[in-house]
Amino acid sequence: MNKLLCAILILALSACATVKKIESGDNLVGERLSVTLDGAWNRLDFPSIKPAQIWTMEGVTIDEFLIYSGIHDGQVMHPEGPIGGKQRNFAFHSAMQTEEIVSMFEGVLCRDNSTFKLLKLEPYQFGGKKGFRFEYERIRKVDNVQLRGVGFGAVDRGELFAMIYDAPRLTFFPRYQSKVEAIARTAVIKAS
Amino acid sequence: MASVNQRIVRLRLAVFALALLIAIPAAAESRNLAPDFTSLPKGANLVIMPPDVELFSISGGGIPEPRADWTDAANGYIHGALGEKTIELGLNARELSEKDADDLAEINTLHAAVARSIALHHIQGGNLALPTKDHKLDWSLGDAVQPLRERSGADYALFTWIRDSYASSERKVAMFALALLGVGVPGGVQVGYASLVDLHTGRVLWFNRLLRGTGDLREAEPAVETVKVLLAQFPESK
Amino acid sequence: MNRRQLLSAAGACCAQALARQVHAQAAGTDYAAPHRFGRPDVATDEGGLWSMMDREERSLRRSPLVLRDEKLVSYVQDICCRLGSEHCPDIRAYVVRTPLFNANMAPNGMMQVWTGLLLRVENEAQLAAVLGHEIGHYLQRHSVERLRDAKSKSALAQVLGAFGAVGALGQLAVAASAFAYGREHEREADRIGAYLMHQAGYDVAESAKVWSNLLQEVKAREGGDPAQTASLFATHPAPPERQADLEQIAKSLPGGSTGDDAFAERTRRFLDDWLQDEVKRGQYAESLVLLTRHIDHGKARELMTYYRGEVHRLRGEAGDQALALADYQAAAASLDPPAAAFRGIGLISRQQGQRSEAVEALTHYLDLAPDAPDAAFIKTYLAELTS
Repeated sequence: MNKLLCAILILALSACATVKKIESGDNLVGERLSVTLDGAWNRLDFPSIKPAQIWTMEGVTIDEFLIYSGIHDGQVMHPEGPIGGKQRNFAFHSAMQTEEIVSMFEGVLCRDNSTFKLLKLEPYQFGGKKGFRFEYERIRKVDNVQLRGVGFGAVDRGELFAMIYDAPRLTFFPRYQSKVEAIARTAVIKAS
Repeated sequence: MASVNQRIVRLRLAVFALALLIAIPAAAESRNLAPDFTSLPKGANLVIMPPDVELFSISGGGIPEPRADWTDAANGYIHGALGEKTIELGLNARELSEKDADDLAEINTLHAAVARSIALHHIQGGNLALPTKDHKLDWSLGDAVQPLRERSGADYALFTWIRDSYASSERKVAMFALALLGVGVPGGVQVGYASLVDLHTGRVLWFNRLLRGTGDLREAEPAVETVKVLLAQFPESK
Repeated sequence: MNRRQLLSAAGACCAQALARQVHAQAAGTDYAAPHRFGRPDVATDEGGLWSMMDREERSLRRSPLVLRDEKLVSYVQDICCRLGSEHCPDIRAYVVRTPLFNANMAPNGMMQVWTGLLLRVENEAQLAAVLGHEIGHYLQRHSVERLRDAKSKSALAQVLGAFGAVGALGQLAVAASAFAYGREHEREADRIGAYLMHQAGYDVAESAKVWSNLLQEVKAREGGDPAQTASLFATHPAPPERQADLEQIAKSLPGGSTGDDAFAERTRRFLDDWLQDEVKRGQYAESLVLLTRHIDHGKARELMTYYRGEVHRLRGEAGDQALALADYQAAAASLDPPAAAFRGIGLISRQQGQRSEAVEALTHYLDLAPDAPDAAFIKTYLAELTS
């Protein structure tokens, strides 16, 4: 039943969504985050997905690469849309400490009643700024797929820049993890 | 304490959403095949995953009601039709037991996620096609399928999933009345997929989606027709 | 409920249900359960419901969200068996990892118990109250009646459904109300549940507490999800009324045990996981009510106190930091302090500029939990603080 619901809701969403190609090479996400890609990605353009961009290699029901660029103080993460659901909204605040930002992402990723377990949190130079990297596992409630994920982020001038990738722990996460790590290493948070 | 109702309500929503869709005409053959894949070897060992089938009737109020008698009958017909089809193709087929399917649930769950992306981004395609896939059926479950190969001893696996609903007579009356007012109300719909996976590489070799307002799984003859449509352009064996 | 009401409720049932032995004394505290159910004919609506539930059960069995711990599952199964007696072989208990208050029994005997319920109840008797209530629905085959009642509401839904997406929403609301158990069903299930509890040797007075506790939590809800709140209370008798009814019943069914120790012993190992899931809901006001209740009740006090600190820290409203710190310190001072309590003290001390306190607490945290997921990150805080 879940499968049908998931498939159908995604199909219904398709009326207002398009997929665009993100070409290999330098790409600017938002106004201040640039990444350099070794190979193309697909970007799903859901009107309701802001403030994030969703990229995927295999399709929305498989892997998801969320990229947040320039989330400002007080901005609500995914106020509506496929990740949202009916539960609480989580907002970013400039004064948040790293552990609080990670907790915010945990909350966001659990809003669809999925489970979340933090496996690792460590310092990371993201986009040229002092940031963090975390790994987690998750069971996606809607279809019971067991996922692994990795996230990177940093705050610059009070704005949050982050990327989170998750995919099934079997085959898909191992297949793309190194690609995602490589993209994170190329990230640059620009001054303007 | 409302799991049953929630599910029914959600299914109701799902069926409604489905009705908003327009079925895409049958796709070209190459669309259903992985690049460079043409046929199976004669006598190939195929494991048939337990077909995931459920039938519903839709009452006048549009509430879908699971019909176990229809589902049971449909299961029988589908098993029979799949068996005949594999014999016709000269394949050495066997079914995976429910117990083995319990143990290998994660592979089945993974395949379902992959199948949904194929249906959405490849078969449906259009503005949802993934540019990096270049309009090719290019998905692989990789070595995640190894336990299935070891357990079944097969080289290939066939996954099938079908949901089918039928309007009851009272609903048909309502549909007719509303049609007179110029309001279109969808009746029953058949939605599903079949997928052939190479258990050595994990590659999806062939995939087909079913999405139409016709077809019937409740009776033997039309059920065979449904399986035929579902397995249309299934690769030859040589 | 008097005899007439009970009979009239039974009158709404199918012919088979009428044949059941239904006895009710004036106090409504006697109940003769029907004998075990045979599998209904597959061509009937009830057979359809069973089959659908069989398939649901199959997917539940395969779900990674079902807890596989044999000891915990058999504990819940045993309580179902004590309550269901003759029906024990037909009841199959599953513990599902979901941080909400819920239990549900399907007509085919599949009993789902959510971890959010296990986290919320204070003892075995309270768990038995909810399980007994669900078994009551099962014994009276309420879900089948509900299915049939929904059909009769279909004409209205059809009209609402004819006008596009707006209509669809209305239609859903109708479907939702049509599929909820009616108040009479809930009352009947409460009474049967109380009777089954009593027969199984549980203190029936605990059943009223389940509802007063839940009510406290829901009252605290901060603009979260009114639909969920509303549907729970639109379809169930209002908790105060329900609580009063159950208290009344308890008076006529005195005695029994609460099973505090057994419950605490069987669930202790899982509390940390369940509390993590609870906190991630982000429903801080509700979580605070829940945690404070358990702290007052003395249930796993040090762990509950630590998590209350977490909730305060995560909520981060005015005054929360001080409250969080107080809870972390209380948890840290207990006989069996959770390592993470020192992490909490360290994080807050760091934010407050209390360097030496922060260093001491974070160092102690890493000593106690060198393999913690965030160890590498905490070390950078320590390096900063000591530089």
